[in-house]
Amino acid sequence: MTVSTDQHKEEKKDVTFRVFRFNPQVDSKPYFDDYKIPVERGITVLRSLNYIKEHIDASVSFRAFCQAGICGSCSMRINGLSQLACTTQVWDVLAKCREEGIIKIEPLRNLPLIKDLIVDMDPLVDKMRHYSNWVDSTMAESEMGKKEFLVSEEEFLRYDKATDCILCASCVSECSILRANKDYVSPAVLLKSYRMNVDSRDGIHDLRLAELVKDHGVWDCTHCYRCQESCVKSIPIMDAIHGIREDAIECRGAKDTSGAKHAEAFMEDIEKKGKLVEATLPIRTNGVVWTLQNLLPMAVKMIMKRRTPPPPPLVKSSKGIKVFRAMFREMSEHVKQDQKSHKK
Amino acid sequence: MKPFDVVVVGGGGAGLYAAMEAMKTNPSLNIAVLSKVYPNRSHTSAAQGGANAALANKAKDDTVEMHIFDTIKGSDYLADQDAVDVLCSEAPKIIRELDNIGTPWSRMDDNTIAQRPFGGAGRPRCCYCSDKTGHTILQTLYEQCLKKGVIFFNEYFALNLSVNGSRSRGLIAMNMKTGKVEAFPARTVIFATGGHSKMYWNRSSNAAGNTGDGQAIAYRAGIPLKDMEFVQFHPTGLRKSGLLITEGARGEGGYLVNRDGERFMARYAKEKMELGPRDLVSRSIETEILEGRGFDSPAGKYIHLDLTHLGADLIKSRLPQIREMSMQFEGVDPIEEPIPVRPTAHYSMGGIDTDNFGRTVMDGVYAAGECACVSVHGANRLGGNSLLDILVFGRIAGRMAAEESGKFEPGIISDAELKEQLAATRSNMQSSGHFERYGALREELGQTLAINVGIFRESSLLQQGIRDIAELKERFKKVRVFDSSDVFNTNLMQVLELKNMLDLAETVAAGAYAREESRGSHTRTDFPVRDDAKWHKHSVATLVNGTLSLGEKPVTMGRYELQERTY
Ligand SMILES: Cc1cc2nc3c(=O)[nH]c(=O)nc-3n(C[C@H](O)[C@H](O)[C@H](O)COP(=O)(O)OP(=O)(O)OC[C@H]3O[C@@H](n4cnc5c(N)ncnc54)[C@H](O)[C@@H]3O)c2cc1C
Ligand code: SF4
Ligand code: SF4
Ligand code: FES
Repeated sequence: MTVSTDQHKEEKKDVTFRVFRFNPQVDSKPYFDDYKIPVERGITVLRSLNYIKEHIDASVSFRAFCQAGICGSCSMRINGLSQLACTTQVWDVLAKCREEGIIKIEPLRNLPLIKDLIVDMDPLVDKMRHYSNWVDSTMAESEMGKKEFLVSEEEFLRYDKATDCILCASCVSECSILRANKDYVSPAVLLKSYRMNVDSRDGIHDLRLAELVKDHGVWDCTHCYRCQESCVKSIPIMDAIHGIREDAIECRGAKDTSGAKHAEAFMEDIEKKGKLVEATLPIRTNGVVWTLQNLLPMAVKMIMKRRTPPPPPLVKSSKGIKVFRAMFREMSEHVKQDQKSHKK
Repeated sequence: MKPFDVVVVGGGGAGLYAAMEAMKTNPSLNIAVLSKVYPNRSHTSAAQGGANAALANKAKDDTVEMHIFDTIKGSDYLADQDAVDVLCSEAPKIIRELDNIGTPWSRMDDNTIAQRPFGGAGRPRCCYCSDKTGHTILQTLYEQCLKKGVIFFNEYFALNLSVNGSRSRGLIAMNMKTGKVEAFPARTVIFATGGHSKMYWNRSSNAAGNTGDGQAIAYRAGIPLKDMEFVQFHPTGLRKSGLLITEGARGEGGYLVNRDGERFMARYAKEKMELGPRDLVSRSIETEILEGRGFDSPAGKYIHLDLTHLGADLIKSRLPQIREMSMQFEGVDPIEEPIPVRPTAHYSMGGIDTDNFGRTVMDGVYAAGECACVSVHGANRLGGNSLLDILVFGRIAGRMAAEESGKFEPGIISDAELKEQLAATRSNMQSSGHFERYGALREELGQTLAINVGIFRESSLLQQGIRDIAELKERFKKVRVFDSSDVFNTNLMQVLELKNMLDLAETVAAGAYAREESRGSHTRTDFPVRDDAKWHKHSVATLVNGTLSLGEKPVTMGRYELQERTY
C-alpha cells in the first residue's frame, strides 16, 4: 500500500467486537460480550481493545506489552485465527467476518485458560525446558569471553529465520495434534529445537534429538502445515520439522526409533518397486521430488500410528519405474549433500 | 516461603544476566527472578540496532580507549569516567561471552561477529543480529537461565520493598494469576525493572509496562534516584504511534529530509550528518518542525526518513523489521516512500543511584540496567551503549549480590505487613468516592510531559509541568479500579503502574526545573549553554518524610578533561 493513509482519515465504521469472557472466580462457563465502537481505518485490534478497556469495560482482560509485534504477548484468536492483536488491522479482519461487522475475539487454544483472553504459557515453557531449548556450549565456562566462535554467514542463515520466533504461541494454538494430545512437543518447541541442533556451538545435539524422536515428539506431527500458515513471523516452521526428521534418519543414535526405521524401509521399498502407497496424493499436488524430500517419513509415521488408512495393495512396478528410480537416486544424493553441508 | 539469597526483580537483559551470573558465581544459592511479564516479553526484545564493543572486527584500528572517549563525550561529560572504563573494557568480553553461549550474531566475511556504524561513535563498533539484536540476546539469556535452573516467578508484580530502618527484609509482590500478595524474604534484592520513559505515553517508543516500577519502589523506600531530568528523545519515532525506527536505518545510509527536500543535518552536524548523537539529531528535527520546514498531517507534524535510495535488497536483508513496522503502523513501504518520523521519548538516563558494583545506599539492595544510574550515559546515551550497559552491569550486580548475600540476614516479612500492603494496593477498588479514569490521567500525564518537560524546556513551561503533575497526583487519589476480580486484574496493574509513573514524573520535572543549563538531552531555551562551573554534577532526588528533596553528587573525572561537545 503506497497511498498515504491520511486521505482515509475520515473513513470510520461502527464495529462490533464479540469478546470471549470468562472469570473463573464467578463464571461457571464462558460467554461473549459485544462492544460496538467507532473505528477509523488504520486502527489495530489491540488499540480497539484498549479503547474498550479504557472507555467501556475495564474488566476485559488481555495481555499486551510492546504494542509493536515484537514481544509476543498479545496473541489471540481474531475471527477464528490465532494472530497478534497489535499488528492486525481492524479493516483487514472486517473483510473476513462470518457475520458482517462483527469481529470475534477469543483466547488461544491448546493452552489452559486463565481469564478472558489470557491463557497460561507455562506448559510451553516447560516443554522448552524438557527439550533443552538452549545452546549447551561446547566451550568450557572458564574459557568464555576470551574468543569468538567463528561462524559462517551460511550457518547463521540456517538458524536466522528460526530465531525470529517471539513465542507468541499462535502456532501452538492452531496445531491440530495439540488439540488431541496436550503433551505433544508443539511447533514452536520443534522450531527452537531445530535452531539449536543446527548451531555448531552446541554440544548436545544427540541428546536433544534422542528426546525429540520419543513419544509426543517430532514423529507425531501430522504435517498439516497449520502452524506455518499461522506463524506471525512467517517462519517456515515445516522446514525445521523436516530438518529434525531428516536428521533423525541420518543420525545413528536416532535410527533405532520405530519412526526412523520404518521411514528407511519405506524409502527402500519405493526405490525398488516404485509403489507409492499413500504418497500418491501429495505427489499429485506437490510433485515427486518435493514429496520424497518432505513427506515420506511422515507418511510412514502416520500409517504406523493409523492416522491414515493403511497402504493400498501392492502395485506392480510401473513403466516409469526406471525414470523414477533415477530421479529418486538423484534426489537422495541432493538430500545427502545438503545434510553434509549442514553439518559442517 | 524459604528465604532467597538473591531475588532479581525484572527479567529483561539486565535481570537475566544478573541471575545467570549469580548462579555461575555460586550454584548452591537460592536465586529467583520475578517479572511482571514473561522474561522473553521484556522490552530488551525491542532493541533492534545492536550493542557496542571495540572488537575491531570491522574497523581494525578501533580501540577500547576510543569507545571510552566517545561515551564520555556523548554523555556531555556527565558520565563517571571510572564507570565508563568498566563499561567499555568489559564490552568485548561480554559480547564474546554472549557468542559463546549461543547468541546468533550476524557475521562478517571472515566469520567474526558483524559490526556497523552507530550514532556518536568514531568507528563502526555496533555488534548486531540483523535488526533483532535485543530480541536474540534476550532469548539467549532466557534459554541459559532455564538451562541453569533459575527459579522464575512470572507475572508477579513487585509492589514494595519491606524495609526495617535502613535494611531491606525482602520484597512484596502480587501474583497476577491469583491476586494474592506474597512475601519474598531475601538476603539481597536486585532491581532490573527497565526504563520509565513510558510516562510520555503516546510520545514514547517504550512498551506499555516501562513505567519505572523498580525506581518508584526504591524511591519510596528512601533510596536516592540520580539524574532523573535526563530523558532521551530518539530522533525517529513513527509519527502516529511513537514506535521506534532504529538508528540502524541511518547507520545503513538513510537520510533525514525536510519538506524542501533538504538533508538538513548539514546545518547541525556537518561531518556526522544523520549519524550525529541522538540529542542533537532530535533537536535538529524539532527545530526544523518548529521553524516550519516539517510536513503537516492530521496525525501531527513530521519529517522524512528516506531509505528509498538504499534499494530493495538492502532494505529487505538488513532492515526487514523496520520495513514491516512502517507498513503495519504507517502504511508506508520504505522501499518506495520515505517514512514519516518525529522524535519520541525513548530512554531514561536517570535511575536508581548505584556505585560501579550495582550497590545502592541500602545494604543488600542492588540495581542494574535501564532502571539504574551508574552513571555511564551521563546526560545523553549513545546508541548501542544501553544493551551493553544492561549486560555489563547486570553481570556485575549478579556477581556482587551472590558474593555478598552471605553477609546479610534475610528478613522476616510479617503477615500483618502483607495484609497492610494488600489493603493499600486495593484501596482504589470500587469505593464509592472513586471516579477518576486511569486512562485519562495517563494520557494527560504524557501530554504535559511532552509539552512542558520535552525536548525544549524553559522555566515557565517546567513550572506548568510541575503544577500539572501535582494536580494529577491529587486526582489519582480518586482513581477507580473498575475490575473487582482477583484473577489477572490488568486494570489494577495499570493503576499501580500509573502511580509509579506519577511519582517518578515529579522527580523528572523537578530535576529539569532545577538544572539551569543545557547539557546533553536536557535543553533549556532560557539557559542555552552548558554551565560547568555551576552544573557539572549529578542531581539526586530523595524522598524525605514524604516529600521530594533535591541534592547533588560530584562527577568522577579521569583522563578526559571537560571540552566543548561538537560533532
Ligand atoms: C524501541 C527501542 C529500541 C532500542 N534499541 C536499542 C539498541 O539498538 N541498542 C541499545 O543499546 N539499546 C537500545 N534500546 C535500549 C535498551 O533496549 C533498553 O535500555 C534495555 O533493553 C533495558 O533493559 P533492562 O533489562 O534494563 O530492562 P527491560 O528489558 O525493560 O526489562 C525490565 C523487566 O522488569 C520487569 N518489571 C518491571 N516492573 C516490574 C514490576 N513491578 N514487577 C516485576 N517485574 C517488573 C519487566 O517484566 C521486565 O522483565 C532500545 C530501547 C527501545 C525502547
Ligand atoms: S504441521 Fe505438525 S506441528 Fe504444525 S500444526 Fe500441523 S501437526 Fe502441529
Ligand atoms: S513460531 Fe511463529 S507463531 Fe509460533 S510462537 Fe514462534 S513466532 Fe509465534
Ligand atoms: S503487544 Fe507485543 S506483540 Fe503485541
